[in-house]
Amino acid sequence: MSRSFSFTPLARRVAVAAAIVVGASLAIGGAAAAEPPASHEIKAPHYGDTLFHFFQDHHFTAITSLMVSQHFERVTEHGDEAEILRGGMLLSYGLHREAGAIFAQLIEKGASPKVRDRAWCYLAKIRYQRGVLAEAEEALAHVENNLPPGLEEERVLLRATLLMARADYAGAATSLAKVDAKTPGARYVRYNLGVALIRSGDVAGGTTVLDEIGKAGAENEEYRSLRDRANVALGFAALGSEQPEQARVYLERVRLKSMQASKALLGFGWAADAMKDPKLALVPWIELAQREISDSAALEAKIAVPYAYAELGAYGQSLDGYNEAIDAFERESKGLDESIAAVRSGQLVNALIERNPGDEMGWFQRLDDLPDLPHAGHLVPVLAQHEFQEAFKNYRDLLFLSRNLDEWRDKLGVFQDMLATRRKAYAERLPQVRARASEISLAAMRKRRDQVAADITAGEAQTDGVAFASAKQLELMALVRNAQAALDKAKPSAETDAARERLRLASGVLTWNVAHDYSDRVWEAKKDLTTIDATIAEAQQRDAALALAQRDEPARFERFGKRITALTPQLDVLSPKVASLTREQQAVVQEIAVAQLTQQKERLAIYATQARFAVAQLYDRANIKKDADHAAARQ
Amino acid sequence: MIHALRLTAAALALGALAHFPALAADGKPATLVAATTPAAPAAAAKVPAAPAAASAAPAPNAATLDGRVQDIKSDVIKLNRDLLVLEEELLFPASTQVALFVSMDVGKMFELDSVQIKLDDKVVSSYLYTPLEVQALHRGGVQRLYLGNLKTGEHELVAYFTGKGPHDRDYKRGATVKFDKGTEPKYIELRIKDLQQKLQPEFDVKVWQ
Repeated sequence: MSRSFSFTPLARRVAVAAAIVVGASLAIGGAAAAEPPASHEIKAPHYGDTLFHFFQDHHFTAITSLMVSQHFERVTEHGDEAEILRGGMLLSYGLHREAGAIFAQLIEKGASPKVRDRAWCYLAKIRYQRGVLAEAEEALAHVENNLPPGLEEERVLLRATLLMARADYAGAATSLAKVDAKTPGARYVRYNLGVALIRSGDVAGGTTVLDEIGKAGAENEEYRSLRDRANVALGFAALGSEQPEQARVYLERVRLKSMQASKALLGFGWAADAMKDPKLALVPWIELAQREISDSAALEAKIAVPYAYAELGAYGQSLDGYNEAIDAFERESKGLDESIAAVRSGQLVNALIERNPGDEMGWFQRLDDLPDLPHAGHLVPVLAQHEFQEAFKNYRDLLFLSRNLDEWRDKLGVFQDMLATRRKAYAERLPQVRARASEISLAAMRKRRDQVAADITAGEAQTDGVAFASAKQLELMALVRNAQAALDKAKPSAETDAARERLRLASGVLTWNVAHDYSDRVWEAKKDLTTIDATIAEAQQRDAALALAQRDEPARFERFGKRITALTPQLDVLSPKVASLTREQQAVVQEIAVAQLTQQKERLAIYATQARFAVAQLYDRANIKKDADHAAARQ
Repeated sequence: MIHALRLTAAALALGALAHFPALAADGKPATLVAATTPAAPAAAAKVPAAPAAASAAPAPNAATLDGRVQDIKSDVIKLNRDLLVLEEELLFPASTQVALFVSMDVGKMFELDSVQIKLDDKVVSSYLYTPLEVQALHRGGVQRLYLGNLKTGEHELVAYFTGKGPHDRDYKRGATVKFDKGTEPKYIELRIKDLQQKLQPEFDVKVWQ
């Protein structure tokens, strides 16, 4: 039998390594960045506007609009709350320094206990991210009991994580017991605790924790994926502890169509092999070997299958299998070379940007959508790397910044033009408007108004109401006077007596009417005078405003002009810096991808060497057998 | 949405837990690998010294590329603030500024599709909402729908809300308000509320003082 093949332990080691590779997103669900309290009363609409952008993950707009509102003092009602939100958003960009300064300032100025607790909690996170764990624990110790539920959970999870960092697993487990095990963060931290316990040598303890996750109900794909990962980790831990039967129990729980299926199939085979049942091992391995070769588990299955054939004594099939694997590895190696060339030429980064354009800085959500490149399968492990994702995020952010600065450059140009137009308008049109105003002459208008006021006063002094009589009444009064004069000249007669009587009556009615309307007309006249006063005052105000504008606006335009002039060089400085950093960052992104692909190539080379060695051993074995047969025949 | 927010917003979360001591930078439980396979060549190269937390998350500084990227992000954010302040002061001076906001309280009775705003009988904004925007309103966000200029004096605002009302029926409602514009900026909030007694949505207008 060929149990002594050197392939076995090495391949198995690689298999275990590959199988335990849990995706980089494993821990993502653990904590949120700045999250405003669940119930927040909006006391200033502009704060609500910031939240509107924040809730859509438009963090850049949210931060900048908040800063503008803070500048104009429009969110003073949410003063500390707004600062916490701003600090949290800056932190989510990795701007630790600025975020830390905000939180420290809030603590220093003696903000309310509620705000202070949140600030300490965020400071703890910052310190944890920076790797200063003792200081992070110290910050957490300052937190009292004023955190909102979501953040309180994060505090407990962070505390558990910090305890794990100093190998206090029992403390971490006790801490974790305080949070609902079903929350997303708790599930991830418990998973990590299980892994950490196994790392520390407490395989039984770690297995218990992971087993709970491995058997727990999972209501969505994220949790099902975590459960698969826990079972894969359990399976390989059991394999490492020489418990292949138990390993198969764990691995059987993994869904066949999950991301972890390949690793589980590989481990399932190795468990059968450990049980000295290579035939049983062939079932999952043959299935796995037919899968996409860029999957590391499938790659290993290519040589695991002929290994199992050899174990079964089917040397012919084993030899064919190894030769096929060698061919496949060579093809794959060439494919990897092409992938590396594509990455180096910028195709990968361009294709990813095309698929993840992103209007704003921040996280990208569609990285699992593979770019349309030859051998795209090679990129799965590349894209799953946390390091790659972080680097690509920075690259994408830099492109966003570049676009943002270009847009502002255009806008500043428009502002300059606008200012020039306004300056011209003020220089040319305002004097014309003021000239028209002086033609109308506010002083003459005022004089006329004073005359009207004097007439009203005089009319009131006369008290007969004639001054306020209507035009018709004045006309009638003139008629009465004319008729009276005519009658005075006429010879007395019965007719003139009758006419005089009628005239007396008519004159009396007229005098009565004028007297009757007097008070109303005085009121009307005074009301009209008030309106005239208001209109003249408004005209004077406008004239004064125009005079002021004529004097001040050019100075205001000058100030705006200076501000635009002062901001333009900042754009000029930042734009090339962003461009240069973008190039550097692109190189970093590509190098991370190339390093990963190179590792894949190295792994292929190791597998290929093992396959060739196995082929040589098979030939040796055949030759030894042939020699033995010849010797037997000679005898 | 909460999960999406976490994914999107929390570089913090990723940073924090990716640097979790049990995991290497790429998420591998490195020591578990090492424990089961003491000398795995392919994997061993990636195994960092534990605890990873202390070494995997260095503070950004000017010397590192990451530090310089963080610095430039910070600079651009500050520059944007200055530019936005300039833009607002130039285009929408406080003396003539009017801002219209839209908010939604509960909003179970009404599924918002669009809003049209008329100021003094002139359409100044017609806005079609995306599901993400509606969700942001539901969560307590307040959208600044319009920013413009108005002269001092009395003005009339008419807002038309279109969407689905109770029983998935098409629903269009208007809200009107007359307001005085002084020399201070004017902020007006159009509020969509649920009227529980009538099982109907209610639309009202709040003029912020």
